[in-house]
Amino acid sequence: MLRSYLKLAWRVLWRRKFFTLISLFGISFTLVVLMVATAVLDHVFAPLAPEVRQARTLGIFRARMIGDHRSQTSMPGYQLLDTYARNLPGVERMAIFSMAQTVYSYPSGQRIKSLLKRTDAEYWRILDFTFLEGGPFTDQDVANASFVAVINQTTRDRFFGGAPAVGRTLEADGQRFRVIGVVPDVPVLRLVANGDIYAPVTTAKSDAYTRQLMGGFGGLLLARSPADFPAIKAELATRIRAAQLPDKQWQRLFAPAETFFESIAGNLFGGRDDERSHPERLWAVIVTAMLLFSLLPAVNLVNLNMSRIMERASEIGVRKAFGASSRALVAQFIVENLVLTLVGGAAGLSLSALVLRALNTSSLIPHAHFTINVRIFLYGLGLAMFFGLLSGVYPAWRMSRLHPVQALKGASR
Amino acid sequence: MQTMIQLEGVDKVYRTDRIETVALSSINLDVKAGEFVSVMGPSGCGKSTLLNVIGLLDEPTKGRVQLNGTAVSSYRDAALAKMRNRELGFIFQTFHLIPDLSVADNVEIPLLYRRMAGAERRKLALAALERVGLTSRIHHFPSQLSGGQQQRVAIARAVVGSPRILLADEPTGNLDSQMGDEIMHLLHGLQKDSGTTIVMVTHDPRLADQTQRIVRLFDGRQVQ
Amino acid sequence: MTRHLLTLVWNRKRSNLLIAVEVLLSFIVLSAVTTLAVFYADNYRKPLGFSVDRIWVISAEAHASSGRTSMTVESDGSDTAAAPKRADRPRIERRAMMAQLLLALRDLPEVEAVAAAAVTPYGGNTWTSDIEIGGRHHRFGMSAGTDDFARTMGLEMLRGRWFTREDDGSAWRPVVINDRLARELFPAGDPIGQFIAEDRPGDAAANPADRMRVVGVIREYRKDGEYAAPENFVFDRVRLDDTRADVADARDIVIRVRPGTTAAFEARAVTALRNAAPDWTFQAESLTQSRDTALQYWLAPLTAAAVVSLFLLVMVAMGLSGVLWLHVTQRTREVGLRRAKGATAVNIRRQLVGEVVVLTGIATLVGLAIVVQFPILEVFSAVSPFVYGVSLAISLVCIFLLAMACAWTPARMASLVPPAEALRYE
Repeated sequence: MLRSYLKLAWRVLWRRKFFTLISLFGISFTLVVLMVATAVLDHVFAPLAPEVRQARTLGIFRARMIGDHRSQTSMPGYQLLDTYARNLPGVERMAIFSMAQTVYSYPSGQRIKSLLKRTDAEYWRILDFTFLEGGPFTDQDVANASFVAVINQTTRDRFFGGAPAVGRTLEADGQRFRVIGVVPDVPVLRLVANGDIYAPVTTAKSDAYTRQLMGGFGGLLLARSPADFPAIKAELATRIRAAQLPDKQWQRLFAPAETFFESIAGNLFGGRDDERSHPERLWAVIVTAMLLFSLLPAVNLVNLNMSRIMERASEIGVRKAFGASSRALVAQFIVENLVLTLVGGAAGLSLSALVLRALNTSSLIPHAHFTINVRIFLYGLGLAMFFGLLSGVYPAWRMSRLHPVQALKGASR
Repeated sequence: MQTMIQLEGVDKVYRTDRIETVALSSINLDVKAGEFVSVMGPSGCGKSTLLNVIGLLDEPTKGRVQLNGTAVSSYRDAALAKMRNRELGFIFQTFHLIPDLSVADNVEIPLLYRRMAGAERRKLALAALERVGLTSRIHHFPSQLSGGQQQRVAIARAVVGSPRILLADEPTGNLDSQMGDEIMHLLHGLQKDSGTTIVMVTHDPRLADQTQRIVRLFDGRQVQ
Repeated sequence: MTRHLLTLVWNRKRSNLLIAVEVLLSFIVLSAVTTLAVFYADNYRKPLGFSVDRIWVISAEAHASSGRTSMTVESDGSDTAAAPKRADRPRIERRAMMAQLLLALRDLPEVEAVAAAAVTPYGGNTWTSDIEIGGRHHRFGMSAGTDDFARTMGLEMLRGRWFTREDDGSAWRPVVINDRLARELFPAGDPIGQFIAEDRPGDAAANPADRMRVVGVIREYRKDGEYAAPENFVFDRVRLDDTRADVADARDIVIRVRPGTTAAFEARAVTALRNAAPDWTFQAESLTQSRDTALQYWLAPLTAAAVVSLFLLVMVAMGLSGVLWLHVTQRTREVGLRRAKGATAVNIRRQLVGEVVVLTGIATLVGLAIVVQFPILEVFSAVSPFVYGVSLAISLVCIFLLAMACAWTPARMASLVPPAEALRYE
């Protein structure tokens, strides 16, 4: 039974190549857009090594100072984090890291551009890097402002041709560092963990950062469990509300503890005076976009399927005359539709993989490693089947209700 | 001999946009098992409608329909489908073969809706094609056959499930006289060999005279 | 014929509605994309105003850790100064160091010319200002450069001169403006020597040394690059030996190198700078490199919008084909009848295509009504009517071509139905 349906499905689709092609095109294109978007979102927000403890980690990624006529928005400064974000209730560990800066090195006449990130020692205990060589710097290194550095694989290739690097020195932005560890590359879109060179925060060229309330750093708070999040957020907000502001033109300061997703939502939707991050708005935007991108092709597919079935009105009449029940007819047309959408789905999945690989190799986003992991693949497969069922059920049902006499006459209204 | 088909007081009225068309009015019909009956009448007299009612393709507005002793008036879709599958075979003027299927696949269609293995289906289909003399064309497609050959495939399809009743709506209408005669020959053979009850709609008196009984319709009513 | 077609389309409004909406959406997004693309292309043709080859920009930052993180400062205009005030001493020290750095660079053999400036091309920094003259508002971008800046950047002087030591003792604020602003402020007559007389409420007599006086006119300075719309521009003078607190500051060093200089020069330059100021962070980039990166960022939104546009066009293709196929199938009988009454295959094809034209036409008309609001309401004042016109034309043509392409196969299907076949469905 299934075999005869499949055989027929193939022949029917082949006979009307133009419409089959357009349907396939529509399905695969839609899938490419949805899958690439999902892969990128997954890449940016889902837990990815070395951020293995992301589920119970909060960060302090943004701060805003508000005055009478002006407001200043930036990442928090070292002083803010050091003074107000330590020893929060429910926090196991706390780390401070800087945003990666572009620095230049000129070993033997060539130029190497690297991203330098400055961190404290706790950073390496919250994130779980798999060291290819050596290990991270310690509290002692930070206290002594030792000029040691952890580098990533790409940096090892660039400076030392891929040879073992621990113990060797490199120069960046005019400072000399001794390599004590090598880690795998972290994609540049993972703003918390990315970097080519990681150095102790105390190796900065001047100590002005210790007196800055605003600018250039981020905080990481490893909670005991996600249940501690509300308490942590509340306590930090209380402390910061009571904070001393640099001069009287500034009245308010806030720097929320939140997940990375929430911080992006906050940057996009947070009003000037609004402390909250409104992650639900960002979700709404993402879901609406996905829905729009799914519904439009689904409805178009419904129309195309209706036409394909309508054209075979007499076939429906004949099958009914010879004993096909409504259920049998619906099943037949759904199989046909699933064949179409699964082929389109397979095409879409392969194309997505190609697009992602192109994005990876292009220099647009360095160290990008967009992949279609199992989660995304299943999502894509589910999507294709969802399309297949959604766009097949209604036309099939409409057709199964067709009166056999009318169907045989070819009047398909 | 038992009554195969029984219609009692059957009316069929079509209502579309406040226009009422009476297609059939007070039809009483008894067809015995193994009979070959023709239905004749001028164009628009309701002969096709009558065939559709007998074939359970259309529900009468009033009256009772009995097939092989079973009253089918109260049947719903699934039960009607099953009845059609087991007891009825159709032959249409325009053949209505499925263009995307081969001859053998077309013939197998009624068997698809019975619980049967693929191999057995194929066996029965080939047997049916042998009866109509078309074994050399089983893998061809309808577009590659002549009109007469297509109708023979349709007949094979109609008999493959061994139904007790065959309903033919102007089976030779699209064929020339020679092919028409071949088809009639086949039908008569089926009646004789298998005892199939056949109801045929035709406007050709020559063909009607070859059958056992002629039912005449005029404006939806039986006339003599 | 047209009325007949309109009737057909109206009677089938339910199935046509979705298509109409898709065509409408598609047209709007396509217009946005083409407008942006044409806008970029149109801007590309216009003069840049400075050289890009053989120019290096080295940004100099005194504090390493606070770095070049992005900081947004929004002000509602009630402040009197555009740039934030800073303490005097560090500023003067920085300027002195900057002067030393320029000297150190001048010693290098590859260096042809060197200068310091505030806002350099492709840097992503913006400094705009707004003044009122005679009740009319004038907006312009601002920058500042040392006396060698014009020569180093290859600015084209149209009138007057760039800043020189002559301006040292002036009792006003010398500025160089671009041609666009010159025409706007001084439509008749020579702008050289003229004061830019702002109506500043109350402050006018407060500090006469703050009044701007035009000493030169340059052709252009499109600091955001080839894709940006031309804007008005004003240059202030940078004096590295100036001890006043509130004059313009220059953070970028601009170098023009001799022909034949290789990329290895960068290492030497940065080393020289680091030797002179070990506490500072230097980021060097050739202008050609900065341009490539900046242009990539300009193209990013265009690419994203183009993908969405393509998606919508594919949807239109799907939708239109589906509905047309349905129409052909459902009206096989009608087609046969028409054929029996003498319509030729060509007539049938034309009728179907005609329906498509009417349907697409209605949707694009609505789309046009929406899209044309943008130039009328001057939502994007930088975009000229010419650009809008060209892009609308392109969008219209694309949509109609697509609709025709989708109608082709169904129309052919319809016209191939032989009359007898159709009539048999009776």
